[in-house]
Amino acid sequence: MRNALKVAKWEFRRNIKNKSFLIGLFLTPIIFLAFMFFGSLFDDSAESEGETTRVFIHDQLGLYDTLAETVEQHQLNWEVHLTDLDEEAVREEVQYSEHTAYLFVDQRALEDSIIPVYTSESISPHFMSQVQVLEAPLKAWQMKQLGLSDEELALISAGIQFQETSADQLVEEGEKATELDDSLVDSILERAVSGIAAGIVLLSIVFSGMYIFQSASQEKKDKVAEIILSSITPGELMQGKIIGYFLLGMVQAVVFLGFALGIALWKLDANILQYLFVPELILFLLIAVLGYFLFAALFVGVGATMADVTTSGNFQGLVFMLPFLPFIFIGPIINDPSGLIAKIGSFIPFSSPGVLLLRLSLLEEWPWVEIIIALAILVISIVIMMKLAGKIFKTGILLYGKNATPKEIWKWIRA
Amino acid sequence: MQQTVLKVEGLNKWFKDKQVLHDISFEVYKGEIMAILGPNGAGKSTTIRNIMGIIYPDEGTVTFNNQKEIPRHKIGYLPEERGLYKNVKVMDILLYLAELKDYPLDKAKQRALHYLQKFGLEGKENASVEELSKGMGQKVQFIASVIHEPELLILDEPFSGLDPVSQEIFKEEIRSLAQKGTAILLSSHQMNLVEELADRLFMIHRGRKVIYGPMNEVKRQYANFKCTIRGTYHSARLERLPDVERVEEEEGAVVLYLSKTVQPALWLKQLPDDLVIEELTIDRISLHEIFIDIATDRNQLAEEGVVHA
Repeated sequence: MRNALKVAKWEFRRNIKNKSFLIGLFLTPIIFLAFMFFGSLFDDSAESEGETTRVFIHDQLGLYDTLAETVEQHQLNWEVHLTDLDEEAVREEVQYSEHTAYLFVDQRALEDSIIPVYTSESISPHFMSQVQVLEAPLKAWQMKQLGLSDEELALISAGIQFQETSADQLVEEGEKATELDDSLVDSILERAVSGIAAGIVLLSIVFSGMYIFQSASQEKKDKVAEIILSSITPGELMQGKIIGYFLLGMVQAVVFLGFALGIALWKLDANILQYLFVPELILFLLIAVLGYFLFAALFVGVGATMADVTTSGNFQGLVFMLPFLPFIFIGPIINDPSGLIAKIGSFIPFSSPGVLLLRLSLLEEWPWVEIIIALAILVISIVIMMKLAGKIFKTGILLYGKNATPKEIWKWIRA
Repeated sequence: MQQTVLKVEGLNKWFKDKQVLHDISFEVYKGEIMAILGPNGAGKSTTIRNIMGIIYPDEGTVTFNNQKEIPRHKIGYLPEERGLYKNVKVMDILLYLAELKDYPLDKAKQRALHYLQKFGLEGKENASVEELSKGMGQKVQFIASVIHEPELLILDEPFSGLDPVSQEIFKEEIRSLAQKGTAILLSSHQMNLVEELADRLFMIHRGRKVIYGPMNEVKRQYANFKCTIRGTYHSARLERLPDVERVEEEEGAVVLYLSKTVQPALWLKQLPDDLVIEELTIDRISLHEIFIDIATDRNQLAEEGVVHA
């Protein structure tokens, strides 16, 4: 174990000083940031394109204040003015103006339910749908004029709602009643934030797991393995690599999280930190770390079978895709976090870390039995995978100049 | 009595169904240079890997100072397939390899600087490994294998790819290490270098021992005299001389291979009087020639060696 730690220290220092690692370390979050920044840039420009629409209301019914208030409430990008121009004049006017609309609120509204609207050139394409928000106050006024009482008004304007009660809900009803307040929002945020954080940790240490892949194969390419193995055992070399790259992954994760937190604090008002450091985070991080060890063992073993990263065969390429397995499950899980597919995903070792993180972030009630089974499967898989990787690594790391075939690898495993 | 540092007994190794080592046994003494010779694929590197515990023999034992457990930090090893991490500084990798051997780092640093200077790599300690030429890289690897003052140094093809100047430097260093008491096991197929360096040799062919013994004895036993004459001669007459086993003619010169029992001084007197000699040399067949003979199965020597051994 002492030797493994020496290797870990070496691998860590060697990479942390390496320019390409350092660039990758900071560039990835910066690229993320840049995309977000450009995204918001485009958002802004889209808004600024929609120039303020001047809306003139020819009001004969004394509804101007009500309408202006409604416009205010909906935060429409309007400038509302009163006007005395009659329709003839307006017809002339709209020919020569821009971003301007005229509404005629008069007797026709009550009798025919019609509000004539005259729009100028280059009016916002959304204007005619925006103007619909005025329907409610106008309707209310119209009904009031027809002599309905306030209660009757409320009833009519409320419309009809279809209220669904499913069998599930009947069961949960008791519990739900207490949760339907702010704490519900809180708990969703709580799980989501720490889940996302753990997801970032998982992602960055799985990426650094891929560095292991490269490192093991580079070790062969540089033919340095035999020199190292004259001092320590293959097992120690392998463990050292796994630990060293784990630490590198943690550095990557910390940098990533630092950026993510910074952005979150800047963009969102919510107190993210309060939601980040919750008890759930411990389990999430445990899952992420277990995920790392599984993939690290896989990669270090397969990396040792390859002479050159660029000449990886189909078999090795396939292994490389395994960390992305959880993506297959994302859709079904979001639809139904406790459905069959989600359950299957949690029990397949290679997708289990990602799937578990996603499910637990979405689910209110944690299926503890499933979690424990999934973790047990994961831990057993790690132990098996480490054993296999050790066997493959021992032989593979000294096989120079060619990639091992799956048949050869099978032979080493059985040896 | 010489002190045995490394003892290899009865190594047998199979790769699949093919036996690659047949009952290999030898010893390396303190302060001597012992050479393993053999053509490519003879089993030299396999033998060495078995000693280093990188692969394990199917049968046989390897003992170090009479211990079964091989103390890795007391052994220096320069493998045949060798390289260094790229992207790292020369000093960093030397210190890392010393650290893996549990050698004190301050001492390692001193020794590294000393050796870099000795090998003409002064000021390269902060250079990146990538920047080194192949020869420089080999020198750094050599330093790495001796930095921790090993009791036993195993060098697998240390001279391959080196220019003559660097070969000389290596040769000198290997000699001086042996003089200071390091047991050295050297594998090579560059016979002239081995002939100069080695105290004893072990020749291996197709995984079997062919010759094993002190260099002088081996030469006495296997390297008969040969006489090379440049001048005007009748090869037919020379062939009829006593003790001539074989005659080979090369451009303007004739080589007479003499029998084992020949007495050179007496034999020379029997040369015909009318022989015009421009140049005449009489010496033993070199190790190189023995090696080629064995490797190409041209000589009876191979089988003979097995029988006598």
